[in-house]
Amino acid sequence: MEVLLFAVMAGLAPEGTQFDGRQYDAKMSELLSTDGQEFFTSYDEVYDSFDAMGLQENLLRGIYAYGFERPSAIQQRGIVPFCKGLDVIQQAQSGTGKTATFCSGILQQLDYGLVQCQALVLAPTRELAQQIEKVMRALGDYLGVKVHACVGGTSVREDQRILQAGVHTVVGTPGRVFDMLRRQSLRPDCIKMFVLDEADEMLSRGFKDQIYDIFQLLPSKIQVGVFSATMPPEALEITRKFMNKPVRILVKRDELTLEGIKQFYVNVDKEEWKLETLCDLYETLAITQSVIFVNTRRKVDWLTDKMRSNDHTVSATHGDMDQNTRDIIMREFRSGSSRVLITTDLLARGIDVQQVSLVINYDLPTQPENYLHRIGRSGRFGRKGVAINFVTTDDSRMLSDIQKFYNVTVEELPSNVADLL
Amino acid sequence: MRPILMKGHERPLTFLKYNRDGDLLFSCAKDHNPTVWFADNGERLGTYRGHNGAVWCCDVSRDSGRLITGSADQTAKLWNVQTGQQLFTFNFDSPARSVDFAVGDKLAVITTDPFMELPSAIHVKRIANDPAEQTGESVLLIKGPQGRINRAIWGPLNRTIISAGEDAVIRIWDSETGKLLKESDKESGHKKTVTSLAKSADGSHFLTGSLDKSARLWDTRTLTLIKTYVTERPVNAVAMSPLLDHVVLGGGQDASAVTTTDHRAGKFEAKFYDKILQEEIGGVKGHFGPINALAFNPDGKSFSSGGEDGYVRLHHFDPDYFNIKI
Repeated sequence: MEVLLFAVMAGLAPEGTQFDGRQYDAKMSELLSTDGQEFFTSYDEVYDSFDAMGLQENLLRGIYAYGFERPSAIQQRGIVPFCKGLDVIQQAQSGTGKTATFCSGILQQLDYGLVQCQALVLAPTRELAQQIEKVMRALGDYLGVKVHACVGGTSVREDQRILQAGVHTVVGTPGRVFDMLRRQSLRPDCIKMFVLDEADEMLSRGFKDQIYDIFQLLPSKIQVGVFSATMPPEALEITRKFMNKPVRILVKRDELTLEGIKQFYVNVDKEEWKLETLCDLYETLAITQSVIFVNTRRKVDWLTDKMRSNDHTVSATHGDMDQNTRDIIMREFRSGSSRVLITTDLLARGIDVQQVSLVINYDLPTQPENYLHRIGRSGRFGRKGVAINFVTTDDSRMLSDIQKFYNVTVEELPSNVADLL
Repeated sequence: MRPILMKGHERPLTFLKYNRDGDLLFSCAKDHNPTVWFADNGERLGTYRGHNGAVWCCDVSRDSGRLITGSADQTAKLWNVQTGQQLFTFNFDSPARSVDFAVGDKLAVITTDPFMELPSAIHVKRIANDPAEQTGESVLLIKGPQGRINRAIWGPLNRTIISAGEDAVIRIWDSETGKLLKESDKESGHKKTVTSLAKSADGSHFLTGSLDKSARLWDTRTLTLIKTYVTERPVNAVAMSPLLDHVVLGGGQDASAVTTTDHRAGKFEAKFYDKILQEEIGGVKGHFGPINALAFNPDGKSFSSGGEDGYVRLHHFDPDYFNIKI
């Protein structure tokens, strides 16, 4: 079986909603063919049980205690090369076991007798960083791992206190991590593993400079892992600067399947009619956990007010809200006391609530690759979801691009949508 | 029937169990905290806190006073059902998988998973009336079927133990000597991992579910195959109606493959079959992920399903259900 696939990746649309698949594919082929042989390491082994991976006993205990029984396909390929200290670029869709892959790789290599930061994981949102910390803590429970989530909006003094007391691993967002490094509360001397999760989002959302700044402060000899659902050419180019002959575990663009998620569109014709359509669907939304995506923070506030004016219970969150408020809202939503959440793309990757089954794109995403992350919220490990796209006349081109981009079919929403949930 | 949706587990369900009176439903999940619900309206009554890993299985004593749970944290625990107090912890060297009280509640069978060099095992523990006198000593230890033993239950009169698991073989053991008495026939038996097992109300026969996409009905004493129910999806859970000759199968494609295949491929409905005719009667939709647990209320008038999606769904049957003609 050919495990290493030549990648043809999702990427940024060059202008507005105009996406040229051929130009994109050509650029990817050029990147991979000219330097592919020299830049990448081949690694073809597949391990069909955790026991066969050579993991230490207490890590195995943690993996089984977490409830894992067998490794998923990407865990079969990704855990062992990372454990061996190899740089890894792993592409994996939402819900296929990516977090456990790098968490296991890190936990296997930590020196638990040295209470200094030895691994750094960067994530684009506070919520995602906290989830990674939770998984890392659970898997590393029998190993006695000390892990800290170093994220914006929390007490700087508290972070400094915890970091100075000593931890084995830090999971954080770029801004706070850089601040802690700059203040020397987080000392990089012993850091030997660096992971970028949701790497494409990190690199495309203005974090590029911060990541460069952080990387420059790290020791020159360091293992790097890059994980994401999409690997646009820009991400691959940048990882070239960070990584040394990485093992590459990628999938072709048209294999970035979203088929686990039923996708529908509603032709609303005009922007003004979206709200009415959403209110009509509200009763269906509240049957389970739903997330509604809009494109701007101001629109989150606007839509929230409108829904509440129509006597619908909704929660809302976006990047402008303070951290305490975001925490409370996510807790409400995660516990199920609130069932409908309105948000923007910024938080798409941090919403990892087990029961989210329905995603509504009130606005289509401005970048095609964000579509994958948005509707990936409604299909997690072991659970299929439904996505509904509100489409105006102006949006039909974008919807068409998305279907071509991911090789999916988006059907018209049937009248019996409640039966699908 | 409109199901009652029970929200309380943050991670996938693993097991469901009604007490004998049918007024309580116990659920286990990967989130460490078994939960007990009122079985008529689905209200949450309480949780049992103390495990540090996924909880795979539970059983409740006849008088509903004692709960036993088996967990991936390598322990099985005894609890006071009413107060939620931990009464005792049995420690093992590998994850505990299946637990079952014997008739009379004086013994319990607990299975443990293989772990590194350790083989899987079946342990029989004595259960003391007085928690202060409880010990972790094993009355019997049976080692070595291949792979995990996903389910082990007591046979008639507590004389035997029936086990089934990853090697697809169903075995009957003598519960005093540990001697292997019978094995299911390779030819007529399951071809892949047995995931689940449910005993009939009178204990004379039992049903097993398997990843080979079938469920099979066996005579408890002779281990003769009685019936086979064929589906088109892996079976993770099975249950039998105590009132009617109906069996229910639940499952769906493997959790790790769900987000990478077509939406029609999930097959997450609970499927009802006529026990005698082996024909499908109908299905109950609702879960967004594989069904991992099924249980009938002992009164036969409702059933519950638990899924990978973290929900427990409680279904009270319509009157029509009791008049189905094939």
